[in-house]
Amino acid sequence: MAGSKCTRLNGALIKQVLDSVDSVLFDCDGVIWRGDSAVPGAAEVINLLKKHGKNVYFVTNNSSKTRKLYAQKMGRMGFNVKEEDVFGTAYCTAMYLKTVANFKGKVYLIGSNALKQELEDVGIQQTGVGPDHISGAQSDWANVSLDAEVKAVVVGFDEHFSYMKVNRAMQYLNDPSCLFVATNTDTRLPLEGGKAVPGTGCLVTAVEMAAQRQAQKVGKPNGFMVDCVASQCGLDRSRCMMVGDRLDTDIMLGTNCGLKTVLTLTGVNTLADAQAHQGSGCPERQKMVPDYYVESIADLLPFLQG
Amino acid sequence: MDGAIGLKGCRKIRGSQIRHLLEAKDFFLFDCDGVIWHGEKAITGAPNVVNTLIKQGKGVFFVTNNSTRPRENYVHKFCRLGFTNVNQEQIFSSSYCSAIYLRDVAKVQGKVFVIGCEGIRNELREANVPYLEEVDEPDATIYNCALPTDVKAVLVGHDDQFTFLKLAKASCFLKDPDCLFLATDNDPWHPLKDGRILPGSGCLTAALEVATGRKATIIGKPSRFMFECISSQFTGVDPAQCLMVGDRLETDMLFGSNCGLETMLTLTGISQMEEAEEYSRSEQSNEQCFVPDYVVDTIADFLPAFEELD
Repeated sequence: MAGSKCTRLNGALIKQVLDSVDSVLFDCDGVIWRGDSAVPGAAEVINLLKKHGKNVYFVTNNSSKTRKLYAQKMGRMGFNVKEEDVFGTAYCTAMYLKTVANFKGKVYLIGSNALKQELEDVGIQQTGVGPDHISGAQSDWANVSLDAEVKAVVVGFDEHFSYMKVNRAMQYLNDPSCLFVATNTDTRLPLEGGKAVPGTGCLVTAVEMAAQRQAQKVGKPNGFMVDCVASQCGLDRSRCMMVGDRLDTDIMLGTNCGLKTVLTLTGVNTLADAQAHQGSGCPERQKMVPDYYVESIADLLPFLQG
Repeated sequence: MDGAIGLKGCRKIRGSQIRHLLEAKDFFLFDCDGVIWHGEKAITGAPNVVNTLIKQGKGVFFVTNNSTRPRENYVHKFCRLGFTNVNQEQIFSSSYCSAIYLRDVAKVQGKVFVIGCEGIRNELREANVPYLEEVDEPDATIYNCALPTDVKAVLVGHDDQFTFLKLAKASCFLKDPDCLFLATDNDPWHPLKDGRILPGSGCLTAALEVATGRKATIIGKPSRFMFECISSQFTGVDPAQCLMVGDRLETDMLFGSNCGLETMLTLTGISQMEEAEEYSRSEQSNEQCFVPDYVVDTIADFLPAFEELD
């Protein structure tokens, strides 16, 4: 693989790189929007890429929306997008259980209504979504009634996360034949104005520690989401580019799957972060060095508009 | 077959070997759960052992990571279960020691945000360490809740009322590098008396460490601080004169090792002989620290040794 990495993507290089790809995968949070605000110019970039004949897909670790809701949000922001273009971890986790795990049974779900919906859409029943506060005495908690049909514990982003949920999950996971799946392990979810909310990674860690077991992760940097895109839409990985804001998920995913990688600086990681990985002697860290970077995906506009 | 020098004995002792140990040591540090009691039931013979040691003039201390009760409550429990003559001053719980740390070591200037149970807040009150009285609306979220600016420490302990909102608030406070990050202990789970388990504070601390990218300062075992508390409050507590008795290899034995104390594993609790033996065969030096010097089936094995002493 040729030498240069972490190169600024601008000027003539944009044409060169875009000509070398047929498909572009975009992360969402910190790339095309921040919270409920679009990154300026993002909608135009997406729409123009499509006009230029590129396949555009969205690959996000955020499990709080169904692909339908994502498409609606994008529509409201002026992105010209279909539901089938969006791959969130809620949808991909349901796909994972159905197609990889061949799962039959009920799920104990620590997650959002979106994750619940995506599971139901593929015929998987769940229990556990919503508030779940402690009640009764301590001796009751360990004897909490377990649903005998539950054969998997799934952990995604959950604003109703509580001690009781960790407890229930732990009790189910005591059975080694109970599957343990996590949507992703992002440590933070970035919002507008620099605020961040603890990410799913925190919740997964709590359950892993209580259960003394590791979860199977579906989201980036695990390659499953790219497999999902490929199996549903066809994908030539050698002519595909991943654009993201997190080195440990987006860029790592791109490297693992043989995609070209572009870091955008509108989200979590900085250029200094990427350069630090580049300067380290560590092979694992080298996987997090992007091929290119942009200040914002709007940097592509001059070429796309011209 | 290992000829390595300095490996711990990990051997079961009884009778005269125990008698020798009782003569050699002036101070006995006992873990509680799984060592002297299971839930609300004293381990057979344990009250007799403890009472006798105290009567003989030995220094007896109780060192527990269980942060759910204030020391006052522990005194009542000791009494209820037949351990007479145990004073509050002999009890070192992770919640009590966390309060001491905040007051005397960190000398925290500002309020403490507590993710924990009433037992922890009780100890903070006793030590006059101010903490945040949270009054969140039922539908409060991180987007609209109050975030006071005078929080200078976050303390995580056992919290059965743990919620996402608490995790989010604590992450915000800990963005300030001058805000301390403390945890009563890092036990991943706790056993209940019937063999079932419950998630421990370690899980909640781990979640917050992931959210903040920061490591908590652990007050309880296996960190040294609780021993430092003991030796600062009692004179002459020389590590060489101490025996740490516990049931959890990764907590109690490591604690003893970290403080330079000899250690004894009792088999009435969490860890089994096989696990101790596996660690003793390990080539990793950090796992050697989990290996006890001595092993007994139960601390009631001390009783025959007392008779010989009399």
